Amino acid sequence: MHIKDIALTTYRNYDRLALEFDDTINVIIGENAQGKTNLMESIYLLAFTKSHRTPRDKELIQWDAEYAKIKGTIIKRNSRFPMEIVLSKKGKKAKLNHIEQRRLSDYIGALNVVMFAPEDLNLVKGNPQVRRRFIDMEIGQIQPRYIYHLGQYQKVLRQRNHLLKDLQRRRNEDATMLHVLTEQLIEHAAIIVERRFQFLNLLREWAAPIHRGISRELEKLEIFYRPSLDVSEDMDLDAIKESYIAKFHGIETKEIERGTTLAGPHRDDLVFYVNGRDVQTYGSQGQQRTTALSLKLAEIELINKETGEYPVLLLDDVLSELDDYRQSHLLHTIRGKVQTFVSTTSIDGIEHEALQEAELFYIEEGIRKK
Amino acid sequence: MYYPEPISKLIDSFTKLPGIGPKTAVRLAFYVLEMEEDDVLEFGKALVNAKRELTHCTNCGHITDQDPCAICQDESRDSALICVVQDPKDVIAMEKMKEFSGKYHVLHGAISPMDGIGPEDINVESLIKRLKDEGVEELIIATNPNVEGEATAMYISRLVKPAGIRTTRIAHGLPVGGDLEYADEVTLSKAMEGRREL
Repeated sequence: MHIKDIALTTYRNYDRLALEFDDTINVIIGENAQGKTNLMESIYLLAFTKSHRTPRDKELIQWDAEYAKIKGTIIKRNSRFPMEIVLSKKGKKAKLNHIEQRRLSDYIGALNVVMFAPEDLNLVKGNPQVRRRFIDMEIGQIQPRYIYHLGQYQKVLRQRNHLLKDLQRRRNEDATMLHVLTEQLIEHAAIIVERRFQFLNLLREWAAPIHRGISRELEKLEIFYRPSLDVSEDMDLDAIKESYIAKFHGIETKEIERGTTLAGPHRDDLVFYVNGRDVQTYGSQGQQRTTALSLKLAEIELINKETGEYPVLLLDDVLSELDDYRQSHLLHTIRGKVQTFVSTTSIDGIEHEALQEAELFYIEEGIRKK
Repeated sequence: MYYPEPISKLIDSFTKLPGIGPKTAVRLAFYVLEMEEDDVLEFGKALVNAKRELTHCTNCGHITDQDPCAICQDESRDSALICVVQDPKDVIAMEKMKEFSGKYHVLHGAISPMDGIGPEDINVESLIKRLKDEGVEELIIATNPNVEGEATAMYISRLVKPAGIRTTRIAHGLPVGGDLEYADEVTLSKAMEGRREL
């Protein structure tokens, strides 16, 4: 799939902007604070209805404007349709093919986007939250039902943590309610963990050969799930549930003492091994970056496999962070398959061969300069 | 904006109702000024009487003007069967169905630790008492199908199970008369889970 054009109205530093894109590579060039990332963000927002940078939609509307609008035309193999997001103080409206979609799950997924931004280089090094977010976003893009279970899980988790606090402070002595919430929690936790296992299996399959390629056949990447209790990938849903039941039974006193839930998918993590060693602890910065890049490229292939179309790739300020070899490997992998948006302060650091077929956009203070 | 005191008080009162914002409140208040005095008196009386004369049935918790309520007193109803709901409005919805011949029990809420609502804050204690006194054989739990409603349903079933009383949960699934294609994935998958033999 690709984005044919986009129109922004009173969005961030763009008053009015209409751009037509190339279906191969689009390079957005500009000095700092001219609006490169804002443009990338607008594409991300068109896909997910929210920004990757801020949870506050108000920031996206120009300060003296009533609303901000992003409109784009999406072209898929057999169809062509407009998508539109209007943000105003009253809330947001998402239109797919001119029709307003009330449920987000009916909108998200029409445009698949994979973004690779500087903070993604932290995927390996950063805290577990970053990795959980990565895995949850990706599964959600291919399986809207996963988002539902995740939401329900978080609701039950909040209730359970409140109750544990009450029990800790002895405001409440009733263990029955705790058991009820534990049972509810396990119901969703088991499904989440099962889906994550399935997703990791696929991700692993795609990421390993990609990583081998980027590392010139030198490195072998392995991905593991590090759960907060004893579950493994050969378990079925019932076995996962059993394991959770046993775990929560064992830690009940400790949970009450601490006043919080101590096990569950919200405490699980991903671990990456390169040549048998944990990259997070022992890997060089280069290895950590290569791993993050392999994961993102695997994600692209995975979405293609699940949905039948390649997603749109956003490379926000990261291309120049990669060395020549990784850069050309990346550009080689996506060439001719994936519509790509690259933002950079200068084209000097980018491979010349790729630039030949690219469309260049010079951005200055929210305006395209020829 | 300046309003004479009587009308600003009236506007204030209207805004206390659910679903009524400041603009609607102003419109309603000015409409009241245009109404016949008799109608306004009638309206005022109806408000006060509804509040004064209605209480909660000490047995089942439903709203009533006599205690116990008409449903609890109805001998033709099956006291061995109790349908547990969250709200008096749910009783009225159930009664519209005209098919349920058992009795009700209104909880007035659902358990939610986050909002500081524990089991002791909803009408459960009197339910347990009824189970003993009325020879109940089955509890149908019809709390809302959300996180809190489900938790409340599970909580009650755990309390009641040791007494050997059958506890059932109403089904979730597709609305009757609707099209399958318009149902969301979550509802559909619940409907699949709850399928039955033909």
